[in-house]
Amino acid sequence: MRVLLVEDHAELAGVVADVLRREGMAVDVAFDGAAALERTAVNDYDVVVLDRDLPGVHGDDVCRALVTAGRESRVLMLTASGAVQDRVAGLELGAEDYLAKPFALAELIARIRVLGRRRRSLPPVLVRGDVCLDAAHRLVTRAGRRLDLSPKEFAVLEVLLEADGAVISAEELLERAWDEAADPFTTTVKQTIMRLRRKLGEPPFIETVAQAGYRV
Amino acid sequence: MVLRQRTVRLRLTMLYGALFVGSGGCLLAITAFLIVHTPPGQFVSVQQQAGSALPPIGGRAPSRAANDTTSAVSWTGLPHLLLICGIALAFMAVVSVGLGWFMARRMLRPLHTMTVTARRISERNVHERLAVDGPPDELKDLGDTFDELLGRLEKALAAQRQFAANASHELRTPLTLERTLLESILTHPHPAPETWRSTCERVLASSKQQARLIEALLVLSRSQQELDHREPVDLAAVAASAARSGAAEAAARQVRVGTILSPGCVLGDAQLIERLVSNLLQNAVRYNVPAGRVHITTGQASLRVINTGPRIPADQVGRLLQPFQRLGGQRAGSHDGVGLGLSIVAAIAAAHGAALTARPGPEGGLDVEVTFPVTSVPTGPCPGSVESQSG
Repeated sequence: MRVLLVEDHAELAGVVADVLRREGMAVDVAFDGAAALERTAVNDYDVVVLDRDLPGVHGDDVCRALVTAGRESRVLMLTASGAVQDRVAGLELGAEDYLAKPFALAELIARIRVLGRRRRSLPPVLVRGDVCLDAAHRLVTRAGRRLDLSPKEFAVLEVLLEADGAVISAEELLERAWDEAADPFTTTVKQTIMRLRRKLGEPPFIETVAQAGYRV
Repeated sequence: MVLRQRTVRLRLTMLYGALFVGSGGCLLAITAFLIVHTPPGQFVSVQQQAGSALPPIGGRAPSRAANDTTSAVSWTGLPHLLLICGIALAFMAVVSVGLGWFMARRMLRPLHTMTVTARRISERNVHERLAVDGPPDELKDLGDTFDELLGRLEKALAAQRQFAANASHELRTPLTLERTLLESILTHPHPAPETWRSTCERVLASSKQQARLIEALLVLSRSQQELDHREPVDLAAVAASAARSGAAEAAARQVRVGTILSPGCVLGDAQLIERLVSNLLQNAVRYNVPAGRVHITTGQASLRVINTGPRIPADQVGRLLQPFQRLGGQRAGSHDGVGLGLSIVAAIAAAHGAALTARPGPEGGLDVEVTFPVTSVPTGPCPGSVESQSG
C-alpha cells in the first residue's frame, strides 16, 4: 500500500513514517501543503494522511484540491482539534476519516488499512489458495504455517494478492510497494520476489509471466 | 423587556395625549377670555366669523345671533360655544391619542428591531450586525455605535479563538510525538538497546520543550493581567544581567552582543521586565545570522534592541508579535523556541502601559524599542544602578 504522510513536524513525521514502513507500507513524507500537492500529482497514493494545520497551503486546501482533481486517494485528516465541528468540517471537505492528535499508532495504522482496502474494495483478510494474508495482524500463513516476511516482502505479496490473479508488472510493484526513497530499479523487485518465493516454499505460488510481470 | 417597551410606548402616547389636551384647553381658555373681555363692537364681527365657520347647533341660526346687539348675546352664546369646542377637543384628543399610539410604535420600531437582533447575537453569531437603516438620527447613531462595538468584539473573539487553536496545536504536538515515539518502540518486534536509548532521549527532549511551552504560556497569561505591584527597576541593570546570562548562547551562535547602557529607572514588575529584556535579547540572538550583531541601548525609561538577521518585510513585523507566529508562515515547533517570546514582550509592555515599536532593522533583523510612560518613572534613585558601555 502506498501512503503519503503530510505533517509539518519533521520529527513526528519521521517516527510515524518509520512505523508505517515497518508495517509493510510504502510511505512518502511531505512537510507542507505545496509539497503534498506536488507528490499527489506525480504518484498514485492509496491513502494520504494529512495534518490539518500545515504551513503555507492549509490542510483543508490540500484536501479540497485532491477531491477536485478527482484523485482516488483516500484522505485521513490528522488534527490537533478533536471538536465535533472540526471533524465535520474536515469530512465535508472530502476527507474519508479523521483522527485527533495525540492519536494511538495502532489506531492510525488500522484506519489507514481500512481506507486502503476501501479504495480497492478488498476484504480485511486476503486469501488465495492456501496463502492467507491478514494485514491488520501483519500475519501471513501458508497451509496454516506462519511465514516470517520482511516489510517489503509483505508489501509485494499484498499487492499480488490484491490483484487476485491478474498480472502485475515489475514497474507497478515498484510504484505501489516502494516509496520514493527506494532504489528505482526492477532488479530490486526481482530480488524481493526471489526471497518471497523461497519463504513461501513449494508448490510455487508466484508465477512469472514473460515480458509482463508476476501473478499469483 | 417587552413590557418595558410597551411602557415606553404607553408613556409616549399618554404624553402626546396630555400635551394635545393641555394645549387645546389653553387655546379654549384664551378664546373664552378674549370673548368676555373684548368690547361689544369688535365682538360682533368676531362672532359673525365664528358663526359662519361653525355649523348651527341647537336650532339657533347664527344670522340671528349676529343681528342681536349688546354684550348679553355674547354672554348667552359663550357656554354654547365652549361646549361645542369642548366636544371637538375631546374628539380630537381621542384621535390624537390613537395617532400617538400609532406614531409611538413607528418611532420605537428600530429600537424593537435592535433589541431582537441584540438578543440573538451571541458568541456564535457575533458577525451579525444591527444594520439600522433610515435617516441619520439618534436611533441610527445608537445602532451604528452598537455595530462598531460588535465589530471590536468579533475581532477580539477571533483573536482569542485563533490563540486557543494555536495553543492547542502547540501543546498537542509534543504530546503526539512522545506517544508516537513510545508506541513505536513498544511495538517494535526486535528493538536494539541503542534504539531504546535514542527513543528515551527524544521523549525527554520533547517533554523539556513541552515544559518550556507551558512555562511561556503561564508567563503570557500572567503578563496579560494588571500589575499587582510596582517597584523601581533599573533597565540598565536588567539589560546588563540579561546580556551576561545570554552570553553563552550568543557565543555559540557567533553573535556579538554590544550594550550602551545609561540608567533608566522605571516603576514596574521587576520579574516581568527582566523577562521582557531577556526575551528580546534571546529573540535577537536566535533569529540572527552567523557573525551577526545585537545592540542593546537603554536610556531614560526606554530600551532598544537592534539585531542583524534575515530581512523582514515591514508588513510582517506586526504578525511576529502575535502568539505562535514566525517569519515566512513557519510556525513554532519547527524551531527551538516555542513561538511566544515576542508575544510575551508585547503583553508585558502593554501591562506597563509602555509603547512597543518594532520595525525591520537597517541590515535585516528587527529593531524593537520599548518606551515606558513618564508616569512610571520614579522620583527617587534606583537601587543598584549601573552605568556601563561595552561592545
